[in-house]
Amino acid sequence: MRDIYHDELDEIGRRTLEMTKLVDVAMERATQSLLDANLTLADQVIADDKRIDAIRSELEDRAFQVIAQQAPVATDLRVLISTIHLSADLERMGDLALHIAKIARLRYPEPAVPPEARDVISQMGEVAGSLIEKVADVVDGRDVALAQAIEEEDDSMDALRRKLFTLVLSPNWQRGTEAAIDMTLLGRYYERYADHAVAVARHTIFTVTGTRPVH
Amino acid sequence: MAKRIDVTNLNIYYSKFHAVSDVNFTIAPRSVTAFIGPSGCGKSTVLRTLNRMHEVIAGARVEGKVALDGEDIYANGVDPVDVRRTIGMVFQRPNPFPTMSIYDNVVAGLKLRGGRMSKSQLDGVVENSLRAANLWEEVRNRLNKPGAGLSGGQQQRLCIARAIAVEPAVLLMDEPCSALDPISTLAIEDLIQELKEKYTIVIVTHNMQQAARVSDHTAFFNLSGIGKPGQLVEIDETEKIFSNPSDKRTEDYISGRFG
Repeated sequence: MRDIYHDELDEIGRRTLEMTKLVDVAMERATQSLLDANLTLADQVIADDKRIDAIRSELEDRAFQVIAQQAPVATDLRVLISTIHLSADLERMGDLALHIAKIARLRYPEPAVPPEARDVISQMGEVAGSLIEKVADVVDGRDVALAQAIEEEDDSMDALRRKLFTLVLSPNWQRGTEAAIDMTLLGRYYERYADHAVAVARHTIFTVTGTRPVH
Repeated sequence: MAKRIDVTNLNIYYSKFHAVSDVNFTIAPRSVTAFIGPSGCGKSTVLRTLNRMHEVIAGARVEGKVALDGEDIYANGVDPVDVRRTIGMVFQRPNPFPTMSIYDNVVAGLKLRGGRMSKSQLDGVVENSLRAANLWEEVRNRLNKPGAGLSGGQQQRLCIARAIAVEPAVLLMDEPCSALDPISTLAIEDLIQELKEKYTIVIVTHNMQQAARVSDHTAFFNLSGIGKPGQLVEIDETEKIFSNPSDKRTEDYISGRFG
């Protein structure tokens, strides 16, 4: 029975990593669909979000089962409780990618992002990509040092969001209210995505060390 | 009244075999301490040396010191029978005297001690002890029936009543629930919580959830290798042992990775 238990914990780890990779792909495609006004890609992100949601439910069910049957303690218990928390963060990150894809779809065939904002949005997409790859490494290797690096990268996302605000609030903004709202929402979505990445990293630090990182 | 136990550099031998090496710990009065660890790690052996019960095995001896409120229980001139009276013990299998009535089981220790008590004094001790063991209501109308007629869980509570009738300072319990059903187990666990108000309790258990539920402190014992002596790996607050133990061997054991 104990072998089944440890196999199940390993499997929960693998599925969490798989979920992280699906979120990575979703965000990468969402940014691309936004910048290229690519409807097919946007629709794919929207459809694939169900897979991310399904893994979240599955992980939660599995964690409940193991807690009920095996009375885990110490690291094992932290892994399971953290899994329940961080799978919620990952699911939300998938939803944010979906929201970005929906803006791309809403504005199609026009590009949702005006030329003067392309650079900032494209950089936000890159930071998002880099963050989720680090998250995957953290989840896979439970690397506490890397988890701390994620927090620093989150700061650069916040800086990009401020840059986007400056652009929209400038007297030179010529794209009207609708585009301004789109840019505000997009800035918000990327910024929240990065915050959830930080949350996943923090849950992992708790799993490894048993103490919560200070904010 | 409850007393403190100090164990210093305790080594236990069975003839030439070095069973347990160099154990040190302090147990506070009115607390519950659980001993956990794989079979053969020496936890029951250490428990038995706390009231010199290991001495019933030929060739068993200890080095080091076990003190009860500062008094060395192995000092010259200390009678082991007195030690066992002050430090009571409850065993894995309920062991009431089978032909004795429930009443006589409870007062058996008192009678062995000698000294005369009036019938009404004995009646008082029986009721108080059975009440303290949460058994009074179930047996008050059949005190003259044999103890062996009770259920396993009731028999174990009868043994606890017998142990506390002599008003010990410390109660040692060697896997007291391992022969009991889950309901009786919970009854004993509740009882342990009540008893710790008056006694110092040390319990050996193979059920780690039980250790986590009932104890204030947990000691993890382990073998350093086959044929090698058992050792105390870590003793700490129970919450710490089961959430974030300091020693990796403790974590591996409580997570079921060995043992």
